[in-house]
Amino acid sequence: MYCIETTDLTYKFEKGDPILNNINIRVPEGSIYGFLGPNGAGKTTTLKLILGLLKMQQGSISILGKQIDKDRIAILRQVGSLIEAPSLYAHLTAKENLRVLQMIYQCPETRIQEVLDIVGLPDTGKKKAGRFSLGMKQRLSIAIALLPNPSLLILDEPTNGLDPNGIIEMRELLKRLNKEHKMTIVISSHLLSEVEKLVTDVGIINKSELLFQGTLEELLKQQQQSAHSLLETSDNAGAIKLLTKAGISAHEEHGKVVMPAATREALGDISQSLAQQGIKVYEITTVKNDLETIFIDLLKN
Amino acid sequence: MNVSFVNSFRSEWLKRRHTASSWIVLIGAAFMPLLVILMRLQDHGKPADKIFMKNIWAAMYHRNWTAMGMFMLPFMLILSTSLITNVEFKNNTWKQLHTTPQSLTTIYFAKFSVIIVMLIQLFLLFNVGIYLSVMLPGYIFSDLQLPTDPYPYQAYFRGTGYFFIDCLPVIALQYLLSLKFKNFIVPIGIGFSMLVIALLALNWKYGYIIPYIYTPLNFKENQNFVDPLMNRHYWAAGYCVVLTVVGYILYVTKKEKG
Repeated sequence: MYCIETTDLTYKFEKGDPILNNINIRVPEGSIYGFLGPNGAGKTTTLKLILGLLKMQQGSISILGKQIDKDRIAILRQVGSLIEAPSLYAHLTAKENLRVLQMIYQCPETRIQEVLDIVGLPDTGKKKAGRFSLGMKQRLSIAIALLPNPSLLILDEPTNGLDPNGIIEMRELLKRLNKEHKMTIVISSHLLSEVEKLVTDVGIINKSELLFQGTLEELLKQQQQSAHSLLETSDNAGAIKLLTKAGISAHEEHGKVVMPAATREALGDISQSLAQQGIKVYEITTVKNDLETIFIDLLKN
Repeated sequence: MNVSFVNSFRSEWLKRRHTASSWIVLIGAAFMPLLVILMRLQDHGKPADKIFMKNIWAAMYHRNWTAMGMFMLPFMLILSTSLITNVEFKNNTWKQLHTTPQSLTTIYFAKFSVIIVMLIQLFLLFNVGIYLSVMLPGYIFSDLQLPTDPYPYQAYFRGTGYFFIDCLPVIALQYLLSLKFKNFIVPIGIGFSMLVIALLALNWKYGYIIPYIYTPLNFKENQNFVDPLMNRHYWAAGYCVVLTVVGYILYVTKKEKG
């Protein structure tokens, strides 16, 4: 079962091109779904639509088996969220900020201290939220999102402004919530490297389109497939002709011959064959694309 | 009453803690009575104070309410109503509020109710202030007699009730404007302009069509230039209903809610 399922979600502002074009997101229950894309790709717009902060124009959104336009309140009872910058009442303390929402969610008052402990802000006393550091504000915002003990947690760029240590702590916290509390987590980011150690599933969005969606394993498979070898030779055209004759697809790119990644043995044989035909091989490099390169390639394409 | 509305109201009430709007209520309620007390202590023994002693309850009521109703009350309403919604804009919390499990109707009326309850709080404290402005000088100076007439509950209650109704259009329009504009200078600027127009139109026969005129108009009711056929309290209540409904429609139909 999918925790979030959107069908042909399309959205555009009054003037201009669509911000989202037929987006079909499938977030499996119990997963940590990384929603990736560069700034301005449509991530926040998608998440705002999912949370009902923007009026839906076209398509449908199902969350936890219910339609957002019909069961908004019932859905929001089970969803915790943090969209963009922290939303805190600067003139109130951490506990007062949580109390404001505890009254609405009607969860036990003891939950306030629980969530403060979870995010590592057990005692900030009478300090007003406005005087917190950005990291503390971010943690308090996550505490607010955790307050109703949600089945689904939606976090839009939650590591913005956090130092490397803070990012690692946040990652561990989210992993723990997913594992121990069976929470489905959607986390958006513009950096794959930031979430690749955390997520189980990935959706990549760029210029209003969903470019990739699947498990992290599927993305890794794509990584293996896209690995390639580069040959610098004295006669690229002759080398390509020879490789093609041997059943290896090859083409020229930036003055080098590009062919699928091969083993050391195979590369030795190729080098020898080229030399026999009078083609000098100056350099052979194998490029194993990391996830970030695939991500960038997907965005470029 | 709906449980979610009560919870929402309590949540909204907590938000106004430590804010300027809650201080406005306290300072606004205490300012005039304090001034009157100080003036009475200063004028103690002079003929001016003896004039008041003849019908001190009515005299002090008018003395306190005149400055309050003419300018201070609408001024405070404009400020505090705009500040209540500005808390959400300033802290970027609309999106947080709109992802809580409550309807937009509940949010709209819970916030509106907080403003109304703050107004009631202001009036209660102000009436305590008027009471003290009558009694306190008598306790301080033994030669100043305490009132012999009983405290005129009914007259005070009725008068305060009329002021309350007369405040409602200001609250409703300021609430509408402050939900509409992110920059709180805009609703405050419009509010003050409307108040100045209302004060300038006080002697105009049809001035009662201006929604900010009703509290100052209380001091003009027996004068010939006010249309005798109109009941300003009905006008005020009518404006309040219409502006609240329009504000509600604008709020729930807003395309982006965070």
